[in-house]
Amino acid sequence: MSIQLVVFELDNKEYGVNVSAVNGILRARKFKVQALPGTDKSIEGMINLRGDVNYIFNLRTKFDLLEKEISSESKFIMLNVNGAATGCLVDEVTDIVKLNDEEIQSVPDFLSVGTTKYITGIGKLEDRMIIILDPGKIFAKEYANLQNSVSN
Amino acid sequence: MSQYQGANGKYIGVNLDLSTVKLKDVIDIDFLQRFQDDFAKGVGLASVTVDPDGTPITNPSSYTRFCMDYTHSTECGDKRCAESHRKGGEEAARTGKPVIYECHAGLIDFAAPIMLEGRQIGTILGGQVLTDVPIDAKYRKIANEIGVDEDGYVEAVQEIRKLSRESIEAAANVLFIVANSMSTTAYQQRKLKAVTNTLNDGLGQISATMEQLAASATDISNNQSNLNHEIKNVNAVTGKIDAVMDFIKDIADETRLLGLNAAIEAARAGEAGLGFGVVAQEIRKLSADSKETVGKIKELTTSIKESVDKTVTMGNETTSTIEQQAAAIEQVTASVMEIAILTEQLNDLTNAQ
Repeated sequence: MSIQLVVFELDNKEYGVNVSAVNGILRARKFKVQALPGTDKSIEGMINLRGDVNYIFNLRTKFDLLEKEISSESKFIMLNVNGAATGCLVDEVTDIVKLNDEEIQSVPDFLSVGTTKYITGIGKLEDRMIIILDPGKIFAKEYANLQNSVSN
Repeated sequence: MSQYQGANGKYIGVNLDLSTVKLKDVIDIDFLQRFQDDFAKGVGLASVTVDPDGTPITNPSSYTRFCMDYTHSTECGDKRCAESHRKGGEEAARTGKPVIYECHAGLIDFAAPIMLEGRQIGTILGGQVLTDVPIDAKYRKIANEIGVDEDGYVEAVQEIRKLSRESIEAAANVLFIVANSMSTTAYQQRKLKAVTNTLNDGLGQISATMEQLAASATDISNNQSNLNHEIKNVNAVTGKIDAVMDFIKDIADETRLLGLNAAIEAARAGEAGLGFGVVAQEIRKLSADSKETVGKIKELTTSIKESVDKTVTMGNETTSTIEQQAAAIEQVTASVMEIAILTEQLNDLTNAQ
């Protein structure tokens, strides 16, 4: 078995999400992101994509990385999470790679607890190490909060 | 006259051709005549000025009856007189000093050379006096030789004025000094005039050259400002190229995104999307190539901009150098004008004398 990953960068480090969870990639500059007051810091805001409101999460904030202005390289990776399209702001989408099972090393238990349980494995491609994320789990908490605040 | 060697090795200065300078060229003959007449009358001796050939240039002053009416009256006497003058003149020329001698007719004469830069241009002859009481027999013999009346000749010789040798020498010296001083002054005057003329010509040439220089400085200045203008155009065009490159880069970015999204679609389509996935990958490669090319072109336009900036800097330096040169030319022109005015004054001075 093999999986295909959409590979993206945060501070020159590579991360990947399964291509099956990705709806598409957008250039962040092309959209006006409207902030949502009172929500989690990791929520960048919302965009209007072809008439639909999509929420954008900021992975840098989530991973406690230094804040960075949206540049011409910045992308939204549109993820299909729980049937809703949710955007994820990243520095750059660099690649789409195919990994065989033996090229994926599962993470040990001490990493798969608490806040880091969204890391499903490490993709090894020659010298590269790609942190594979579970799109459904990364923003599960924020998404739940958001749905609460929106519905309330 | 002396010559000076100029910076270009050319001899500069004024060289008057002395071989053609005549006495009347350097001495005002009317003035000499008046001086000679007055001097002869005052001192009491005869005088005449001749050129190197012995030809009289002035009229004889205070000639005695003995000479005018008797000695010169026959062809033989006249010839002997001329021969006697010639000898006296030659001796004077040889020594460069006044010579006192006894003429063929037994009178005391002197010859004072008029020298110019070591060359004789004339002689002042004079005398027709005696230092002692004349002996009749001597003059009767001469009268016979030249064919004049003996009695009249002897009577005429008695009228000849007697002067001491010292007085004759002193008179000869006075004439010598005055005539030579006159000729030297007049000659210096001519030299000065020639120098002034040469100076004037030179200044005219300098003025003309300065005008050309000023004109060419203006040309250079205009060319330089045109050049600066063109260079600025190059800069503007480079800026436009950069803008186009930004646009192309944007297209490349969009294409890449298209490739990524196509690849995602292909992956999601599973087996059916394999072929499409290859196309998507090619699209991404092409967009990457485009982006790389844009980068290279931008490097080139950057280096063009740097060159243009340097050129503009050098152009500005050139412009300021040209301005300095133009100012220098103006200063030189002003100085030349001042010298020209001085030369004019010099010319007026030489003409006035």
